[in-house]
Amino acid sequence: MTFLFLLFPSLIAAALAAAIRRYRSLVGWVNALLSLIALGAAVKFADHAARGGGASVFGPGELLRADGLSALMMVCVAAVASLALFLSPGFGRESQYSPSQLRRYQFFINLFIFSMLLTVSANNVGVMWIAIEATTIFSAMLIPLTLTKPSVEASWKYILICSVGIALAFAGTVLGYFDFVSLSGRAENALNWPVLLASAPSLHPEVMKLAFVFLLVGYGTKAGIAPMHTWLPDAHSEAPTPLSAMMSGVLLAVALYAVLRWKVVVDATLGDGYTNKLLIALGLLSLVVASFSIVLSRNYKRMLAYSSIEHTGLMCIGLALGPLGVFAAMLHLVNHTAAKSMTFLLAGRVLHRYHTTQIKGVSGLLKTMPGTAGMLAAGLLATIGLPPFGLFISEFALIRAGFATGHPWLMGAVLILLAVAFVAIIGHLNRMLYGTPPEGVAVGEKGGRSLALLSLNVAVLVTLGLALPAPVETLLNQIVRIVSR
Amino acid sequence: MNGHDTLFAQLSTLGASVTLLFGVVLLWRRSLGAYIEAFRWQSLVLSAVFALVGYYGHDHELYIVAVALLALKVFIIPWYLKRLYQRVGGEREAQPYVNIATSLIVAGLLVMLAYAITRPLVMVSKLPTRGGIPLAVGLIFVGLFVIVSRRKALTQIVGFLVLENGIALLAALCTYGIHLIIELGVFLDVLMGFLVMQVIVYHIRNTFESIDVEQLNQLKH
Repeated sequence: MTFLFLLFPSLIAAALAAAIRRYRSLVGWVNALLSLIALGAAVKFADHAARGGGASVFGPGELLRADGLSALMMVCVAAVASLALFLSPGFGRESQYSPSQLRRYQFFINLFIFSMLLTVSANNVGVMWIAIEATTIFSAMLIPLTLTKPSVEASWKYILICSVGIALAFAGTVLGYFDFVSLSGRAENALNWPVLLASAPSLHPEVMKLAFVFLLVGYGTKAGIAPMHTWLPDAHSEAPTPLSAMMSGVLLAVALYAVLRWKVVVDATLGDGYTNKLLIALGLLSLVVASFSIVLSRNYKRMLAYSSIEHTGLMCIGLALGPLGVFAAMLHLVNHTAAKSMTFLLAGRVLHRYHTTQIKGVSGLLKTMPGTAGMLAAGLLATIGLPPFGLFISEFALIRAGFATGHPWLMGAVLILLAVAFVAIIGHLNRMLYGTPPEGVAVGEKGGRSLALLSLNVAVLVTLGLALPAPVETLLNQIVRIVSR
Repeated sequence: MNGHDTLFAQLSTLGASVTLLFGVVLLWRRSLGAYIEAFRWQSLVLSAVFALVGYYGHDHELYIVAVALLALKVFIIPWYLKRLYQRVGGEREAQPYVNIATSLIVAGLLVMLAYAITRPLVMVSKLPTRGGIPLAVGLIFVGLFVIVSRRKALTQIVGFLVLENGIALLAALCTYGIHLIIELGVFLDVLMGFLVMQVIVYHIRNTFESIDVEQLNQLKH
């Protein structure tokens, strides 16, 4: 039942946007409030899981299923969705988008949210695939909203590369199913996670190895893992700001969720050595590519996008470091979601004022927008892993897990790369905060609502950084148990 | 029964080979019209393969899948493609990134690679259709190669559709297709993905005045 409260609000919101011909800001408000219902349902699932309740199922053939891992993802998606919807354009009288653009925006963004929520609640491997492809389709419709040359270029790369990736993931899904079929014949619920997992130990290792390669390359494309990441900086920097916040904040995490679910199945067949090696290799490559690209960045939105690639790489490595690593990686996921969504939304405010995404075009932020500047500094410092923000704790836990599982050189490399990104981002941040503002940029700001909402993110980050709340810890431990059975 | 099985095996391998050959046409010809025709014929053969598997595998759901595939990839999508081709202009793949002779050699190498990679699959499978599995994976690789080595956005779309055909062929040959609902959901996704790509190609044409993807290189550091 709670599943309906989770999934229907965004469908209703999209229908509302489609039905009301001439866009009114009422649509924006109603849709934002509807997203709160979904958030409530997600929190209910998380609460149920944290109290040790079993997985909830729903639907014909157990179509939907929510265990601890799904619940955590649902909360992340729903929270960022609400934040993005409340801070979407089209609430006030003036907006840089036309009414028809706003209507398209509300329609597709709510369908996008629906497909992400469906991905993490799907019990069936095929349904999860369909939902992830749907996220690509809906977000690709939104990236070229303003029809500028860069945004069209970005949307083309996005849809082509991600669709190819997802298609390869489907090939991997077929191969996984193939192994099951050649063993047990076609079964009714064969594509459901628990059924696959139960039969996994008797599947053929060679076939599952091939399947996992396809799946990692496929879903990894969507998660922004190098070397399939080339679409990411373009798409995340050219999309409308709330969409970028959601894409960097949760979509990458949802794709990584798909990889993780399959890892659990493949590990039951092969033991975790094989998948760990692949994840560490690609994770490290992502870190290298991202860190050096951050150094070379001239565009602050692209810098943030590369930072997302860096953190995805970190999470991949974390997932390959045993139970301690999985705990660190999932904690890092939550922290990164909070930090990155906030930073992108703040970057949107900067863009709105300065009309440029070039780092050298932005200076004197502390004078022109003190509130935004302060929070942007907090967001960026959080992203590079400074205490008292949560990412410091999760990165520390990850490094500890790495040493505990016998990867000292790997952790050394990770630390160096994190330091490179650290120095680079602080340098860019300094260039933007200080100095004299350029001509024609208004000074002073009054955006109370946005900053108030974003301070929630800061609160979450500080809480997770100072004292991990018990329910969160229980939930994360549950997830570790699910992943390392 | 054995006689039946051998005929089935031979027909399915034949179907898979023809499908692969139509895919290679994308590397051989230069006109976008030829690509669309090749895709249509490939999809026709593919739906015949699905019907064949449905008949010999005694799975009537596959007839529905075959019909849906026919409707979608032989009629609906090519119709949209032709319209797109007319509106976006008759540009030819004048200078692809990899020339034709090399492309064909690469295609051959890719099929050999596919045979090498799928050896475990063929050995594990007990189905009579297993001979065609390497060809399906070869088609997937050829589709990928088309996307990477061709310069016109429209060619890349057809390359993507050929890739999807390869995957559908793989599903037909190694698991006799997957559950009907999922298969239909996949078709829906492919259709919607295609429509979105179409929309974006129109955008490209309108903002860049050409569909040569070489010019989509403005976004750098």
